[in-house]
Amino acid sequence: MTPLPFAPLSSGPLLAGAVLATVASLWLLLPNGRDTASIRWLGSLLGLAALAAFIAAGRRLGGLGEEAVFLIVSLVAVISAAATIVSRSPVYAAIWFALSLAGVAGVLLVLGAQFLGVATIVVYAGAILVMFLFVLMLAQPAGLAPYDRVSNEPFLSALAGAVLLGVLSLSIGRLSAGPATCCEPPSRTTASPSTATPSATTGEPAPAAGDTASGPAAGMTATAVDPLAENHVARLGGELFGRHLVAVEAAGVLLLVALIGAIAVVSRGEAALAGDTTTTRSAAGRSATR
Amino acid sequence: MNALTPFLPTIAALVKIGLLVGGLMTAAAYLVLVERWMAAWVQDRKGPNRVGIPLTKISLFGLGQPLADGLKIIMKEDFTPRHVDKVLYTAAPLVILAASLAIFAAIPFGSVLPPLGIPGLPDPVPFLVAPGLDVGVLWVFALSSIAVYGVLLGGWASNNKYGFLGGLRSSAQLVAYEIPLGLGLLGVVLAAGSLKLDVIMNAQAESGVWYAFAQPLGFIVFLVASFAEAARLPFDLPEAEQELVGGYHTEYSGIKLLLFLVAEFLHMVTAAFLIVIMFLGGWHLWGVTGSSQEVTWLGAFLRFGVLSAKIFGVILFFMLVRWSWPRFRFDQLMNLAWKVMLPLGIANLVTVATIEEFRPQLIERFGAGPAGVIALVAPWAVFFLGWIAAGVLTPSGTDNTPIRTHTMLDAERSLREQDLVEV
Repeated sequence: MTPLPFAPLSSGPLLAGAVLATVASLWLLLPNGRDTASIRWLGSLLGLAALAAFIAAGRRLGGLGEEAVFLIVSLVAVISAAATIVSRSPVYAAIWFALSLAGVAGVLLVLGAQFLGVATIVVYAGAILVMFLFVLMLAQPAGLAPYDRVSNEPFLSALAGAVLLGVLSLSIGRLSAGPATCCEPPSRTTASPSTATPSATTGEPAPAAGDTASGPAAGMTATAVDPLAENHVARLGGELFGRHLVAVEAAGVLLLVALIGAIAVVSRGEAALAGDTTTTRSAAGRSATR
Repeated sequence: MNALTPFLPTIAALVKIGLLVGGLMTAAAYLVLVERWMAAWVQDRKGPNRVGIPLTKISLFGLGQPLADGLKIIMKEDFTPRHVDKVLYTAAPLVILAASLAIFAAIPFGSVLPPLGIPGLPDPVPFLVAPGLDVGVLWVFALSSIAVYGVLLGGWASNNKYGFLGGLRSSAQLVAYEIPLGLGLLGVVLAAGSLKLDVIMNAQAESGVWYAFAQPLGFIVFLVASFAEAARLPFDLPEAEQELVGGYHTEYSGIKLLLFLVAEFLHMVTAAFLIVIMFLGGWHLWGVTGSSQEVTWLGAFLRFGVLSAKIFGVILFFMLVRWSWPRFRFDQLMNLAWKVMLPLGIANLVTVATIEEFRPQLIERFGAGPAGVIALVAPWAVFFLGWIAAGVLTPSGTDNTPIRTHTMLDAERSLREQDLVEV
């Protein structure tokens, strides 16, 4: 799986090799009770090879600086995601997960989705994962439980994950290789490739978007989403509370239901603690005694 | 010159980062001295006043003290206890300091410079490291929630009961007070219509009404929550010396301890920046700084000076509060967050949203002046109502007598029947 033909690098075999290397590396790295240092080294090397193959098979972004920053943050995201599932200690797994989320947020920031990137950190890393850590640190005073040391079905899960990865990257690669149809800013679709590259690298598509409005995508300029435009958050809010209002409200109601359910569970638990057989009697008695 | 042009924004950003980090680090060192002077003044004694220029007898009111303190703490042995989790023990102070510094990427530290006329640079140059970031307030929020990791990991990796308890307390406190903090913030964001801190400052400068006057309830909620987020004295349970020795940094020494302490000070400085920028008008002062975007060099530095003076004033307030209030108990802390600050924050948010929603109708019906008065009076009415409600209902007041449950009462009754005790 590792001896790849590096001369004519078509992306198909490269991708297949990358997927195979990912399977092997994850299978070797996942904790299965018989791992040694050498196996872990082999797994890590295979994983790095798979990453390199994926990078070689992918498309370039444009400017060198943008490319470098994107590579760094995405490598942080991917490597720490792998470390999340292969690390033995739950606390370390949570920390690696936090780092992976930071990498994902970095990717989103580089690609211009500022709100999504920052919201990822606020919601996941800042709130949910802190709760996880809290519980893990309280629940695990010493040593590792046996179910932490061995993973369940390492081969099948590694295979499934890697195949999913391969299929996704293949289909995304096909989608983005063809001419963009729906969501790209009009400057990139209408202008010729030689003039489109500098406008994409400078990160200032606003002036370019104005003069190409006569192209085939001219009717869509009003609805096309340009992530780097001014007032990014205001437009996102308009979109959310305009076109997707029902979905937003439904999510809000769902969260409210969860909140009420949590309160109900907590109050029932308190009533049970009060020590009577029927909850109503104990609640009444408790308020009377106070 | 032409070869440099593409790199000019990067160079400008690096210069700003250098100025900001250097200024913040120096400020943190000297704020420790100010804090000690303030403590001395409150307690009616002389503070540190001996250290001046080294190797001479000149003592510049003790202005050399930060240098001496810094040297001393750096020279100390960087001792790592044997029972700690070494990786996380080392990472925790780095995480907390990096997060506290990265917050300032989105915080403006002045208004704008007058146009420099250099091609390749945006004119006018803003006093802000990342002017393109459209989500400034959220960035601040995100990174201050990352700082929790430093505290939590430091406490856990120390493998020490005091440290662990401090870390747990701190994370519970920070997570609880993030909600009123966000509610106080949302009112301002709603009124200004932007998440960018420089736009929020400009909005206050243009209207001349600082948000502390337009949203008094939001100001109080935000002020209290930012005290809690900075873990300053009424809320300093994470490192309550009498109970937890040093809290989450009990096991730290030398330069790692220094990183923790600097990060704590930076939290206070961040809180002061946010309070001034969002509620106290930023660089705006009536009749002094003007409100337009075109500034002269004098105006630019005047605005910088006004902003710095306000921030220093808020920091002095922080320090004065430290010696004026006793520490909360943990249940009082949580009650204050969930039963007082959360409802008050929601009340403020609803008031602001209502006013902003009906402002055009108000202006249409009464004219701009009376509409402005209504928009100013209504929040104050809500403020006093909320104050009275919180005072009458005292949801945060706690009854310290033990709660008697049914089982306890049964046990007491049976004991009384056996004539064993008199209850």
